[in-house]
Amino acid sequence: MARSVAAAVPQQRAAGVGGLIARYGWPAVFLLPATALIFLFFLIPVVTTLYLSLTNISIITFRHPQWIGLANYRALLADPFLPKILINTARYVAFTLAFNVGMGLVLALLSTSIKQRYGDQIRALWLLPRILPPVVYVVIWQGLTREAPFGLISDITGVSGNWIFARPWAAIILANGLVGASFGMLIFTSAIRSIPNDLFYAAAVDGATAAQTVRRVVLPMLKWPIMFVTAYQTLSLLTSFEYILLLTDGGPGFYTTTVWSLHAYKLALSNYSGNVQFGLGAAMATFLVLIGIVVSVFYLRIFNYRALVAEPKVEVN
Amino acid sequence: MKGIPVRLQGLSKSFGKVVALKALDLDVRAGELVAFLGPSGCGKTTTLLMVAGIYMPTEGEIWFAERRVEHLHPRDRDVGMVFQSYALYPHLTLFDNIAFPLRLKKTAERETRQKVHQTAELLGIAHVIDRRPAAVSGGQQQRAALARALVKEPQVLLLDEPLSNLDAQIRIQARAEIRRLQQELGVTSILVTHDQAEALAMADRVAAFSVGELQQFASPDELYTRPANAFVAGFVGHPPMNLLKGTFEDGHFAANGVRLPLRTTATGAGILGVRPEDMRLGGELPARVLVVEPLGREALVTLDAGGVGVKVLIADDRRPAVGSNVGVGYDPDRLHLFNAEGRRL
Amino acid sequence: MPLFPPRWRLVAIGLALLSLPIAAGLIWLILSGLFDRVHGLLPIGSPTLQNWRFLWEGIGGRPPVYVPLLNTAVFAVLVAAVEVIIASMAAYAISRMSFPGRAAYLGLVLVLHAFPAVSLIIAIFYILRILGLFDTLIGVILVKASLELPLGIWLMKGFFDYLSWEMEMAALVDGMSRWTVFWRVAFPLVRPGLLALGTFALLSAWGEFILPFTLIVSSQRAMMATYLQSFLTEAFADYGVAAAVGLFYALPVLVLFILGQRYLLNIYGGGVKG
Repeated sequence: MARSVAAAVPQQRAAGVGGLIARYGWPAVFLLPATALIFLFFLIPVVTTLYLSLTNISIITFRHPQWIGLANYRALLADPFLPKILINTARYVAFTLAFNVGMGLVLALLSTSIKQRYGDQIRALWLLPRILPPVVYVVIWQGLTREAPFGLISDITGVSGNWIFARPWAAIILANGLVGASFGMLIFTSAIRSIPNDLFYAAAVDGATAAQTVRRVVLPMLKWPIMFVTAYQTLSLLTSFEYILLLTDGGPGFYTTTVWSLHAYKLALSNYSGNVQFGLGAAMATFLVLIGIVVSVFYLRIFNYRALVAEPKVEVN
Repeated sequence: MKGIPVRLQGLSKSFGKVVALKALDLDVRAGELVAFLGPSGCGKTTTLLMVAGIYMPTEGEIWFAERRVEHLHPRDRDVGMVFQSYALYPHLTLFDNIAFPLRLKKTAERETRQKVHQTAELLGIAHVIDRRPAAVSGGQQQRAALARALVKEPQVLLLDEPLSNLDAQIRIQARAEIRRLQQELGVTSILVTHDQAEALAMADRVAAFSVGELQQFASPDELYTRPANAFVAGFVGHPPMNLLKGTFEDGHFAANGVRLPLRTTATGAGILGVRPEDMRLGGELPARVLVVEPLGREALVTLDAGGVGVKVLIADDRRPAVGSNVGVGYDPDRLHLFNAEGRRL
Repeated sequence: MPLFPPRWRLVAIGLALLSLPIAAGLIWLILSGLFDRVHGLLPIGSPTLQNWRFLWEGIGGRPPVYVPLLNTAVFAVLVAAVEVIIASMAAYAISRMSFPGRAAYLGLVLVLHAFPAVSLIIAIFYILRILGLFDTLIGVILVKASLELPLGIWLMKGFFDYLSWEMEMAALVDGMSRWTVFWRVAFPLVRPGLLALGTFALLSAWGEFILPFTLIVSSQRAMMATYLQSFLTEAFADYGVAAAVGLFYALPVLVLFILGQRYLLNIYGGGVKG
């Protein structure tokens, strides 16, 4: 129904500044707090990251950074550990992504083919790593991977030791995976549930077994959700480092599990090599920020948002 | 394709405490088209889904010829089914949709192609076979759904309200086409519908259901001229039969102070039924015209006969004025008498 | 899927086995907090309250636990409150008001929603220092609330979109100002959304580690996350105490989890849709 209520509020048609305030005053008020915060903590930091990367800012020069152009970037490219960090990042993202999407799919498919009550319980259990405070989650990991006789893994395998340090890659991939799988699980479950029941009945009458139904009916309809989860989590994995920081701190050796985002963080914000190289860290972060912008805008195009922006039916503010 | 007989024996279904179908005994003859007719919630779709194998019966047996099937997965029953929503796979072309059951059985591709084209020709959709369901009309989708059900030459064809999503114009046409096809192929069919005209027009026999119970199972004629109870009498036939509650006394029927003479020896409370087309204006019963609805060829007149409301169907060129007083008559041989519980007397 | 495969009970058992690690973790946490020692998942000895002595004494020079507890509670509640109010206001404007740049603003929110906010932590550190908000509770609250805003706005917009237009038209014709319509008509009607967003923001803020780790240094303003983490960085960590602190810290989350499993599934399932 496209009734406009403009006639009920005539002063909005006035010209000049008075008219502008009458017409856009309220939207401005409603949007002001959010806009201010987004400006201050999203938009400005994006520019600031770029700016800082072009200065020699460090703990010494914090108040008065000097412009040094692309020197940080050149230092970065010359860093002998850069290839290792790149490989670590690629390895971390690829394997964790595979686990996230794969396990998410498995969980969604299996938990929707059993009684809903049990399916809900399994999904709830897999939600737990996600909602548990990260530090508590890591305490649990450390507790289970301790040396014998305390650590469960040591007890079960008969080999005593700190299993996180023994297998740091398995640890960070699984630790992030157990948290990350629930994202895909929830999205795929929702997509599976939205398939009309009649399609399943038709497939059954047509002669399909459960496996055939999954392969020929369910999976083709999960194409877009799978793409979405893969894209979203790739970006997320590229920039996340919280669990790696808590579990291995990039170790156990020199840069064993250090990924790009973690290295950027440590360069800027911790006493790594004696001096806090803020600008260098910012340079590494700039890459992430730029990739983030490009990919996010890319989403916008792919997952067409025009449909969400239907014009409001009240033209009067 | 040759049809097989289907037998339902003592079939019942409950969902928890809710009884959807009470004990049902029903025989469908080979090659017959039986319609399950009734309002929503009457148990007709539940029964159909049990014949398909999607629901497990709570009790009872289902026989396809000499085979007991009620415990079999749909896959093993060799039925074809057309769903109300058509249930076409949206990501496949019509060709792939129709080929689906054959491909699942690992039929050779050449044979598959041949059968699909044959069936598509039969249903008049061969020219759109390479399109996706979203790109064809509702009528074509319905025919594709039918083609998918028929391509594997099933022993039993099940149809769940196949016409209700079609435009009114196309529905009449589709009705005749499905019936003709079914007779040509001779496949035993069960059709579920809430539209009594559809059931009467298409079926060899009609099973009328109400609240989980079978009310009457007979030919359309039989349901129309000799309804077994007041439910069937009021459900079958359009415009619906006039059903008047009152008391049978010696030689007449009394309702709201009006006495209608008729030939009966019945006594006690009961229901009198008379179809609008079996009544006429110009009789002995005084009544006042309330509403006149022109229907083109006829007119439906609603009257107040001494406090009792009745509808009469008349030829359209003799419309009375609203508010006028007329006489109403009825054909005493076309009356339907029911006792207080609704059973035919 | 409405038809279960014939051996679905086997599938259910398989899934349960697959989920054992998570169950094991939870069991370990509870047992280790309550018993003196735990071997694998077997408690040794009798239950003890020794692990819980952090409740009444400051262990190893740390402030008493009520300091980080209070800070975390204030942080979580304020973040959730700020989030809910500011996000709803913005979402209402985008969903229900007409102004130039509306489509662009929504586009911006969507881009930010997908953007990995954590990559901005370095710049945010710098900005807070410049603004004098470093090492303050206000600073972290503002940062956390801001970083969650795009999700909050997008979530609430979805809820506002569902409201009937006729109602707002009627309210305006009745003479209400746009603010009154929002506060008295629209806001109360999206209560499920507010609850979902509030719960989401509360849980997210309660567990937040990186922000307090980076932006807070003084122990008076420490949070439970950094307090617990300090137990792990010791040379010979006392896992009993760490588990007890962890259990204590995670208790509200666990209680919410047990009481509102289905609710949590709904909001996490609905809130992260593409």
